[in-house]
Amino acid sequence: MEKKLNQFDIFKIMVKRDLLIQSRDWKEFVFRVGMLPFILILTYGFMLPQIGILDADFPNQMFPGMLGMSLLVTGIHGTVVPLAMDFNNTREIEDRLQAPVNVRVVAWAKMFVGIIESWIGALIVLPISLVFMGSYLNISLDFTSGLVLLGVLLLSSVTSATLGLLVGTVVKPPQIAAMFPGFLMPLIFTGAIFFNWAALETIPVMKYITLINPLVYINEALRFILNSGGDTMPIVYSISGIVVFTIVMGYYGMKRFIKMANR
Amino acid sequence: MKEKKIEAILEVKNLKKVYMKNDGEPHVAVNGISFELMKGEIFSFLGPNGAGKSTTINMLTAQLTPTDGEIVFQGQSLKDNPIFAKSKVGVVAQHNNLDRGLTARENLIYHGQYFGMSEGDAAKKADELLASFGLTDWGNDYVKSFSGGMAQRLKIARAIMHQPEILFLDEPTTGLDPAYREILWQHVLKLNKEYNTTVFLTTHYMEEPERFSDRVAIYNKGAIKALGTVEELRKKVPSQTIITIVLDALNEDVVKEVKSLADVKDVSVKDEKTFVVYVDNSQKVINELLALIDKKGLALESINLSATTLDDIFIHLTTNDIKND
Ligand SMILES: Nc1ncnc2c1ncn2[C@@H]1O[C@H](COP(=O)(O)OP(=O)(O)OP(=O)(O)O)[C@@H](O)[C@H]1O
Ligand SMILES: [Mg+2]
Repeated sequence: MEKKLNQFDIFKIMVKRDLLIQSRDWKEFVFRVGMLPFILILTYGFMLPQIGILDADFPNQMFPGMLGMSLLVTGIHGTVVPLAMDFNNTREIEDRLQAPVNVRVVAWAKMFVGIIESWIGALIVLPISLVFMGSYLNISLDFTSGLVLLGVLLLSSVTSATLGLLVGTVVKPPQIAAMFPGFLMPLIFTGAIFFNWAALETIPVMKYITLINPLVYINEALRFILNSGGDTMPIVYSISGIVVFTIVMGYYGMKRFIKMANR
Repeated sequence: MKEKKIEAILEVKNLKKVYMKNDGEPHVAVNGISFELMKGEIFSFLGPNGAGKSTTINMLTAQLTPTDGEIVFQGQSLKDNPIFAKSKVGVVAQHNNLDRGLTARENLIYHGQYFGMSEGDAAKKADELLASFGLTDWGNDYVKSFSGGMAQRLKIARAIMHQPEILFLDEPTTGLDPAYREILWQHVLKLNKEYNTTVFLTTHYMEEPERFSDRVAIYNKGAIKALGTVEELRKKVPSQTIITIVLDALNEDVVKEVKSLADVKDVSVKDEKTFVVYVDNSQKVINELLALIDKKGLALESINLSATTLDDIFIHLTTNDIKND
């Protein structure tokens, strides 16, 4: 077969394969993606403000954090788990690595699926938030902010896929169970999901340590847009932070992937 | 035999692979081998367990980076142009690397599409292959539920889905019953004949290369010990005929005396009762042997005359190495 193969066509086939497999477990997918924001929003966005332990403005602080968290965690999970399984257990990825394309195409396809999943992760937060904390939320968005929001969400989904690529090529399947308490939980709870990063002023150590968490930049950017400014990081900083993380993790993730692909 | 234009499709130069073991010690799995694969030939690469056959296949199919050496597909180095190399090959790996998330039929269809087939063409070809490998009724089942032999058949079907120019088969018939072994070979020979597909085979069943292959390489401990047609390799053993003798008890004396007979090329002791005699004039030697055994008062349990098989050649060329371990 001397036919000229189109790399993009093969990319699409690989994406299709992943989406097909994922869609077969759509119930588990919705459960996995929805449960975390659901339980956090139910507790912190509804019950605690109802009881009066948190004040009525808290849901406004929290909503962007939930959006950022769900997006990042879903995208990471959606890339890490299949990658770790594919590479280590049965090396079933070999069939795709054998395809006459650059091995990067296989990685791009995995990341693209992670990006799609992270968008679903962000979308799922909307109905949950409306149901449980809709009455507290006070969000106004003009057209320009809407566009910026879309841009930040898109960029963040890429961040989440690059982080997933890096982690997925590092962890081994037996370590996946440890990933939630050992990696995702710290990522979430030091990711400024409930309050502005600037509020950490009183604990300077935490303030600087959390800067190595990409979720901080994502949430700060989202909070800037959704809460119309306030005490957040300037948007230029937060977006720069996201971009830097994406580039660094994308670079090392791809390097690891190529190394794993050629053993 | 077959009329073929002699043209190398793959050149391997000084190929080497050193693994790092867990204890940090280097392990040389492939130690600088060189050979050419000719277009349209069936080439058998034979060697004992752990010799480095799978390692070699993994390097030749762009799955594993060599430590040193060169792999050139029709003038294009694999390192510089892996896409070209990958477009040429189909592989049946030794382990089961089927796509667990997909059904048997989807495994074939997706594979075809990775190689540029349209979905329609791939589906048609997939159904044909499922039928000939007895998997039609299992087409819509996930490969998780497949028995070892079924998975093996599907792996073979998948490797030939896109009609590769070079087919790499890493112990393809292991785990297959004799009927499916025949079916596999029918397919391979058909591809070889109709499309001049080149085949690179590893196997532990010596009758397969003897029946089907044009050239054989005997490979051990990272190095090629002998390479040629089966006829050429026969010349590497002391003679073309062997007599295998089983006695009630064997002693060094007898072996020495047998060795000194005219027309006896070599004698090797297999176990405490059995020895193998490489001979030129079998009729004469048999008579002399029987006379000798009689004279010594030993009891003959069995005597067997046969032509040297690839098995004997393989054992002759690889056991010396094993003994030296
Ligand atoms: N990833 C690895 N790391 C370290 N050593 C390895 C690795 N893979 C293979 N080896 C070693 O390299 C040697 C060759 O292995 P290989 O699988 O190529 O042998 P083989 O000839 O295919 O054997 P078999 O007939 O059993 O399939 C073995 O000693 C094996 O232990
Ligand atoms: Mg092997």
